[in-house]
Amino acid sequence: MSPFLRSYLTVVWFGLAAFLLGGLLLWLASLLRPVKPNPEKVLAYESGVNPVGEGWSQSQIRYYVFALLFVVFDVEAVFLFPWATQLERYGSFGLIEMGVFVAVLLLGLVYAWRKGVLRWV
Amino acid sequence: MSSPLLAAVSWTVPTVDYHGLAPEIVVALGLCVVMLVDLFLAERSKWLLASLSGFTLLGAFIPVLTLALDDGGARAMFDGRYVIDDFSLILKGLFLLAGYVVVLLSTTYIEEGEYYQGEYWVLMLSSILGMMMMTSSRDLISVFVALEFLSIPAYMLAAWRKRDAKSNEAGVKYFLLGVFASAVMLYGMSLLYGVTNSTLLSDIGASISGELTAVRIIAIVFVIVGFAFKVSAVPFHTWAPDTYEGAPTPVTAFLSVASKAAGFVALVTVLYVAVPEGSDVWQPLVWVLAVLTMTVGNVLALRQTNIVRMLAYSSISQGGFILMPLAVAAEGGAGGAALRSVVTYLIVYAATNLGMFAVILTVSRKTRSGEISSFGGLFGYAPALGVVMTFFLGSLAGIPPLGGWIGKFSAFQAVLEAGTGWAYAIAVIGAVNSVVAFGYYGNVMREIWMRPVPDANTMPIRTPAQLVLALAITTISTLALGVLPGVALHFGDLAIFAGAFAG
Repeated sequence: MSPFLRSYLTVVWFGLAAFLLGGLLLWLASLLRPVKPNPEKVLAYESGVNPVGEGWSQSQIRYYVFALLFVVFDVEAVFLFPWATQLERYGSFGLIEMGVFVAVLLLGLVYAWRKGVLRWV
Repeated sequence: MSSPLLAAVSWTVPTVDYHGLAPEIVVALGLCVVMLVDLFLAERSKWLLASLSGFTLLGAFIPVLTLALDDGGARAMFDGRYVIDDFSLILKGLFLLAGYVVVLLSTTYIEEGEYYQGEYWVLMLSSILGMMMMTSSRDLISVFVALEFLSIPAYMLAAWRKRDAKSNEAGVKYFLLGVFASAVMLYGMSLLYGVTNSTLLSDIGASISGELTAVRIIAIVFVIVGFAFKVSAVPFHTWAPDTYEGAPTPVTAFLSVASKAAGFVALVTVLYVAVPEGSDVWQPLVWVLAVLTMTVGNVLALRQTNIVRMLAYSSISQGGFILMPLAVAAEGGAGGAALRSVVTYLIVYAATNLGMFAVILTVSRKTRSGEISSFGGLFGYAPALGVVMTFFLGSLAGIPPLGGWIGKFSAFQAVLEAGTGWAYAIAVIGAVNSVVAFGYYGNVMREIWMRPVPDANTMPIRTPAQLVLALAITTISTLALGVLPGVALHFGDLAIFAGAFAG
């Protein structure tokens, strides 16, 4: 077996171990715990919150546009941080390039503002 | 922060050739201006945006011309990752002019349909900008960025009639299959990078030679399959008819001409620069794709009753003819002829197909129908449109005095230059397909000239000025390219490509 494939063998062992460990713990728990089901107990408890109202509900679309705006500035930050650490080396060229980049992103903010996205209606 | 890793990398200011980048810069500035102006414009003066977009594209054509007249040879930037040579300039010119015609086609459509206007033009310009970048990209990363840059706006444009279920279907199908194709291609690209340790296409070309290992074969196949989706080659064509039918007609024209041409540009650059030595792998693959694409496209086109769907299958089959010379491009001296034929075919096909859509848009303003039968008796009440449409149909079929024949001629010439058994086989299949194709093009001609008007409504068609201009541009270029084949062949001539793929 080549060293390349052998490194994948590790992954297989880890996968097997995960399955065995998980199965073992679940089985141990089923031996120890009392079983007294009632309707409240079998409810879904995701995030620790009881479900309220109907399963089909409309989600707020305005969160979605805010999320998009967030992505715009998130991407900006991703590029700005490494750039800032090396600013002196990049000199005026780097400054102008980043200026252009930020200006184009700002255009997105202007767009959102004029389209009324920034108002919480 | 001074990590030893960062300190080790030396950095020098890259030289940016602003003259070489001028076409892209003009379009980029233009699209920012269109976006800004749209935000501060009253609803009734939105028509300004169409003119602004049109002038941006024409304005970007000026630096393309000055660059073409400049004798300095190819300009390479970023260590040859971005190259401005004759190949890229010709195709940039093609994309700008095709984009201008699409702007002319869209103007009345978008205004009358009460669609969002500013966004439409911004997305259209960004897609064209992506195509221009594609012609110059000589690096896996810039090829991929350009491909996404031209595709993502196109996904949205395909779904522009957002209250129409068919348009939504068009957008979603195009998006899902496009993203799937990108993923397959990215996987291939990552393997290419893995085996060659470089993203620069010419470096990859230098290190892929000799024996082809399994990884290299998979890498090449995956990259080609990714592009096959983009150029809607059979069996990766399934999105095309639905997307073409559902998308707004001007967008369909844009997708079937410009977007498809961009896919071929990328395919040609990768095949010629990155994997010329892998031809044992890609030649048979492209051969099969080309044969399937021509044949299946043709056979399905024969059965269509909707004109746009028929054109969708026809454009699939035309794609097969563009692929045909690439299937034997590495045999003997056929590489040059194959490249010339691809470029010539793209130019001729753009002129003809855009003209075809211009006629369809004009006629459907009266008939409000996409059925082939709605063209019945067109010559009787709109003789000019009838004649012009016959020209375009004849050109698509490849009848000699019209542009289409020079495209087909150069494709067959390239194949015969290769002169192998496989080349002769594909030439025969291509010839049979050209004859079959006449079946459906001729059927539309028969409707125009011989059938009665379906609803006896012979009111003349009022053609808006923009559509007249679009029809004039496309008719003149279709005729001129056919009557003066030297022009098209000159544009596609490899002699002027001498430095094309040196970068």
